[in-house]
Amino acid sequence: MMRVLAFPFIVAMLSLLAVNARAELLIQITEGRTDAVPIAVVPFAGAGDVPENVSDIVRADLHRSGQFKTLSPKDMLSRPTSKEGLSYRDFRVLNQEYVVIGTIKPTGTGAYEVGYALHDVARGKELLSETYRPPESQLRDVAHAISDRIYEQLTGIPGAFSTKILYVTHNRGAERPYQLQYADADGARVKTILRSREPIMSPSWSPDGTKIAYVSFEQNGLPKIYVHNLGSAERRVVAQFKGINGAPSWSPDGQKLALTLSKGGNPDIYSLNLNNGDIEQLTDHYGIDTEPRWMPDGEHLVFTSSRSGGPQIYQLNVDDKSVRRVSFEGAYNARPEVTPDGRYLVYVHRRNGSFNVGVQDLQRGTFDIVTQTNMDESPSVAPNGSMIIYGTQHRGTGVLQAVSIDGRVKVELPSKEGEVREPAWSPFL
Amino acid sequence: MRSFINPLFAVLLAGLLAACSSTPTEEDTSATDTMPTDSQSSPAEPVQRPAPAKPDTSNIPVTADNFHNHPSNYDGTTDTKVIYFAFDSNTVPAAAFETLRAHASYLKDNPNAKVRLEGHADERGTREYNVALSERRSEAVQKFLRVQGVSSSQVEVVAYGEEKPAAFGHSEMDWAKNRRAVLNYTAGRP
Repeated sequence: MMRVLAFPFIVAMLSLLAVNARAELLIQITEGRTDAVPIAVVPFAGAGDVPENVSDIVRADLHRSGQFKTLSPKDMLSRPTSKEGLSYRDFRVLNQEYVVIGTIKPTGTGAYEVGYALHDVARGKELLSETYRPPESQLRDVAHAISDRIYEQLTGIPGAFSTKILYVTHNRGAERPYQLQYADADGARVKTILRSREPIMSPSWSPDGTKIAYVSFEQNGLPKIYVHNLGSAERRVVAQFKGINGAPSWSPDGQKLALTLSKGGNPDIYSLNLNNGDIEQLTDHYGIDTEPRWMPDGEHLVFTSSRSGGPQIYQLNVDDKSVRRVSFEGAYNARPEVTPDGRYLVYVHRRNGSFNVGVQDLQRGTFDIVTQTNMDESPSVAPNGSMIIYGTQHRGTGVLQAVSIDGRVKVELPSKEGEVREPAWSPFL
Repeated sequence: MRSFINPLFAVLLAGLLAACSSTPTEEDTSATDTMPTDSQSSPAEPVQRPAPAKPDTSNIPVTADNFHNHPSNYDGTTDTKVIYFAFDSNTVPAAAFETLRAHASYLKDNPNAKVRLEGHADERGTREYNVALSERRSEAVQKFLRVQGVSSSQVEVVAYGEEKPAAFGHSEMDWAKNRRAVLNYTAGRP
């Protein structure tokens, strides 16, 4: 909470965003890099009556990534809105490395023209300049697109500001306590997909971002796997076998779901062809096999198995069904995720009774814990591989937190209502 | 963790030991007492006694560690509908045997009755793995009932993992209360 006070402007601004958007996710950075790059995002000209403050959104995006130290407008010596009015010296004396300026004006047809430019202060030159013409409903999307472009220009990595987070909330005492929701990566524009009296679990995005899969116990308290089209809101049951139907995970080509079924007498990993409904059993061991995730090559899966006693991470070759163990530290390793480049495994590791998120470098063979919270679960990796969002507990309530893949940046997402858990970061949309 | 002693045997053994532990006195009016009533003589060997009355458990404190096997949780009839489990275990506790036998009798006597065994886990660890662990608990109860002769058509198993806790705190006792299998009659309630 002390760190929140250090950024009163950001907190106030985020609260404003929350009120406007009726967001239930509030996002605050609690620990950024000490070598974060100083950047000044100058308030855009003409922002007065525009329903979304584009430059505020851009500033918040860059700040929230933990890679940038954003200058507060009240500390700016001048607020240029065009190249002609820009004095690099005004920003050099404030130790800014980059400055972003822009304009926004209505086009008279319900749309807006948004122009921005990114300048390198030390070299005194413009790096990037673009214009967008969105309808009013897409102003936030344009703001995030601008953040993505600036982020990529300066880090070489595509930004993930235009993505969404899917998650489960639980409000004890509500008539339908379990909800499935998604929001923008900055917590705005929360949408509820499903409300239920029975549990909802394991939400998962299709690779093209148009569909999600999840487990719902809504039918008579029995678990079924649903595939839900976000655009049309249509959904269908794809698995309702006897026993467990769980842990759906989309193949990279979007044609199959790996899932856990216990219809054979024991929880094993199966592959379901979404086009024709065929299922293929992939593991066949008397231990518990669950929590499958495809590797980016589409030929391997990683999963949790208790075949050596306690849960550990294993890798399966989908073709010949061969299995080899991948995690070797400690007695409890479960719920693996894979970074988009296939290089890192992210999973839950128990040490001295504490459950944390760890990152295993498959290339170098190293393993590091990246969280200091306790009771951590359900990690999900951003599509640019930069951040991990996960579920944890804060003062006994389920909340989401995020941490950079190297553990240096921590972002807190305190819950405003009930408990929040099981985050799933969308692909690039 | 698997117990190496058959729980039934352990109960019998405990019963036998309890029977042999007390020495007879003049006031003892046990019907099968074959001792001479002469107070001067001492017993040559232990006396045959009937099995002792159900032990008074009110003075055994309940802890998170013994919660699953504490007799106060099981009244031996179908009124008791929750079976508890030790940490990391899906072994049915001995204290629950009489209760489960009562349920088995009821199910056999009432072929139209159906019970859903709902398995649960405490909150620690990952969610889908906990679903699988909780299924193992329901299945342990299911196996017990089947061994007692209950038809499999009367028993259904559902696993909820940590998704439907009974206790919402984060202490060892809350966790002990959540490691459970619930007998939920969906037809022909006792």
